[in-house]
Amino acid sequence: MIHGRLAAPAESGNRSLLPNARLVARREYVEKIRSRAFAVATLILMTVAVAASLVPIGLRAIDRGQTTRIGVVSPDPATTARVIDLISAYLNPVPPNVDPATVRPGYVLDAEASLQAGLADIDANRLDSVLQVTVGAGGGLDFTFHGNDGPSSATIQRLQVATFGAAVVEYAQSLPHTGSGPTFHTPSFQVEPTDAGPTISPIDPSVAGGRTLLASIMIVLIFITLTVYGMWVATSVASEKASRVMELLISAATPRQLLVGKVVGVGAAGLTQYLAIIVPAAIVLALQDPIATALIGPADPGEAPLVGLTLPILLAFGAFFVLGFLLYAFVYAAAGSLVSRPEDIQQLAMPLSFVSMAGYFAAIFGMTAINSRFVEILSFVPFFSPYVMLARVMVGQVEPWEVGLSLALLAASIALSSWFAARIYGAGVLLYGQRPGFRTFLRVAIRPGG
Amino acid sequence: MTLAIDHLTKRYGGVVALDEVSFSVEPGEIFGFLGANGAGKTTTMRIVLDILRADSGAVTWHGRASTELPRRTFGYLPEERGLYPRMRILEQLVFFAGLYGVPSRQARRDALDWLERFRVPELAGRKAEELSKGNQQKIQFIAAILHEPEVVLMDEPFTGLDPVNVSLLRAAFLELAAQGRTLIFSTHQMEVVESLADSIAILDRGRLVTAGSTREVRRRAGRPVVRLGVEGDPELAWAKALPGVRSVRPGSDITELTVAAGTDPQSILHAALARGATVTCFEVADASLEDVFIELVGRTDDVEPATLAPLAVESAA
Repeated sequence: MIHGRLAAPAESGNRSLLPNARLVARREYVEKIRSRAFAVATLILMTVAVAASLVPIGLRAIDRGQTTRIGVVSPDPATTARVIDLISAYLNPVPPNVDPATVRPGYVLDAEASLQAGLADIDANRLDSVLQVTVGAGGGLDFTFHGNDGPSSATIQRLQVATFGAAVVEYAQSLPHTGSGPTFHTPSFQVEPTDAGPTISPIDPSVAGGRTLLASIMIVLIFITLTVYGMWVATSVASEKASRVMELLISAATPRQLLVGKVVGVGAAGLTQYLAIIVPAAIVLALQDPIATALIGPADPGEAPLVGLTLPILLAFGAFFVLGFLLYAFVYAAAGSLVSRPEDIQQLAMPLSFVSMAGYFAAIFGMTAINSRFVEILSFVPFFSPYVMLARVMVGQVEPWEVGLSLALLAASIALSSWFAARIYGAGVLLYGQRPGFRTFLRVAIRPGG
Repeated sequence: MTLAIDHLTKRYGGVVALDEVSFSVEPGEIFGFLGANGAGKTTTMRIVLDILRADSGAVTWHGRASTELPRRTFGYLPEERGLYPRMRILEQLVFFAGLYGVPSRQARRDALDWLERFRVPELAGRKAEELSKGNQQKIQFIAAILHEPEVVLMDEPFTGLDPVNVSLLRAAFLELAAQGRTLIFSTHQMEVVESLADSIAILDRGRLVTAGSTREVRRRAGRPVVRLGVEGDPELAWAKALPGVRSVRPGSDITELTVAAGTDPQSILHAALARGATVTCFEVADASLEDVFIELVGRTDDVEPATLAPLAVESAA
């Protein structure tokens, strides 16, 4: 009953962060998770992610189906024949306990009369590429590859190994039975692009700079999530303002409790969606090789492993994802508190999107000059470090203390931005009908009461 | 041991929202807060709640600054009603009470109890967006008091309610006051204030015009109303000429005369009798709150606010 329970003035105020921030976070989380839009988006993205993680298997399967035809020319037909035998055996390995007759070769090597004839065959689409063998003065072999494969393609990488083997065998056979022979000439291997002719898939995702690809994917993921989940926070604050429930909230809880609760609640919902999307895809990726074996047979000895993920990379990704989100989310929340209608957020959030985009591009383009001073500096600057330091971890050389320092700076800036955001939020949520703009934002940050 | 509003001043840019406003509310009182739109009522309430800081001045409750009081001391019904549109009513009430530190089981029980008393138990499982305005308002009232605050501030709690709900809300007011809670509410419905408020304050453009017990304020206006009925003479045209009579409002049988301060109402009766009239009705009453309000606030713009200043000083003292 309500009678006679006039509470004595509570001694401990409810101005400490925790119980209320937790209540706000839980409400936020439950509402988000229960919404149909959330379920639909998660399901669609989950499907896309699983499909995307099956792409490498698909590419390998397509690779398998193709036969790469290579013409071989050398000054001497006998040498040509020996080189073809050796390289062909290397490129078309027969798995143990398998009848060689049942294995369809991935590479077919044929002798060509001359380089011109070979290049003509490439033009005529009868060959994919030509391997030119030259014999040096000491009998040592050198190789030139004529074709359009990129320098990192699987064909070229395997040919380099195979030609080295062929050179060793040639050298061994040229040695006299007694006494010392000529010293071993390390074969050179050059790539001559042929502009004409069919292009063999220039990027081979399973091999081509696997780390760079993975880094790009992670940076894109961080960019998307920081922007999308940050907007969730801003929209959520703005709609509380628009529905006027804010005035009740702000009289019951402090701005800091509301702000932290909101950011954590939305962040947890985002993380849930994230895991729902990533986990099935990661399982597919982790089981890539067994799945590939089941679908398209065992991996060839020369094929690169499909997954480049390691635990430290995952940890770095997780840390930069979570901290980066927190930093951006507090600023988004402050922005959301300044608009009267959710539709106005886009305008106010624009400068923040530009900052985020700058970090994203710095990281993506920085990967080509990963060890430059500029990239190094940016990797410590909060707002940019979630992108740039992650890129450095993935494709550059970075000391553990550098990562630690970058994370510490990020954490410190989160503390600062949450304090500023609480100031703006406390004043902003009661502002109605003002033109939202960057100037209001700054003015309120400097003088919340004004 | 009161809620003391002490020289509050608040400016928004160049606009003075509150100008040295002082008054006090006794514990257990029902306090009516009056003023035209934009007079500064909401700003005052927000400062009391510490969701807005005054430029100068202070608010204390039992001697403690409101900025140091736990938030659960106060309950608030904002002027702009707002609930989470897609959240179920019972969940919302439990959530808001939770923010004030009420355990969810207790909040749930009390919320259901109040819904029952407002005759809307079926709303517990509904979403706020499905509710009528009147019902949303009842839910907001429950949200304001579920944590059993010592002081409840309500901005226009009666607007938009039908007569049945007004009387339910009145009953709730009286019950809360009987429990010793202090209730402060703003309204434009003068008859509600007259019948419910122990004390009132009137604000005009950020300045306190008058404050005190309702009866005292009405009396202090010093312009009693005389209701006079004379057989066969509904117009009472002669009364306008009497000294001290400011206005004559003829009704069907009774005519209302407003009298200047210091005029003895009995002189009107004497004048009527002296004319040989048969007086059927003679009544002296304090000015209605509506009259007081219009008198103090509803002036036209060519009247300088300075003419009201002496009264403001007197009542603030």
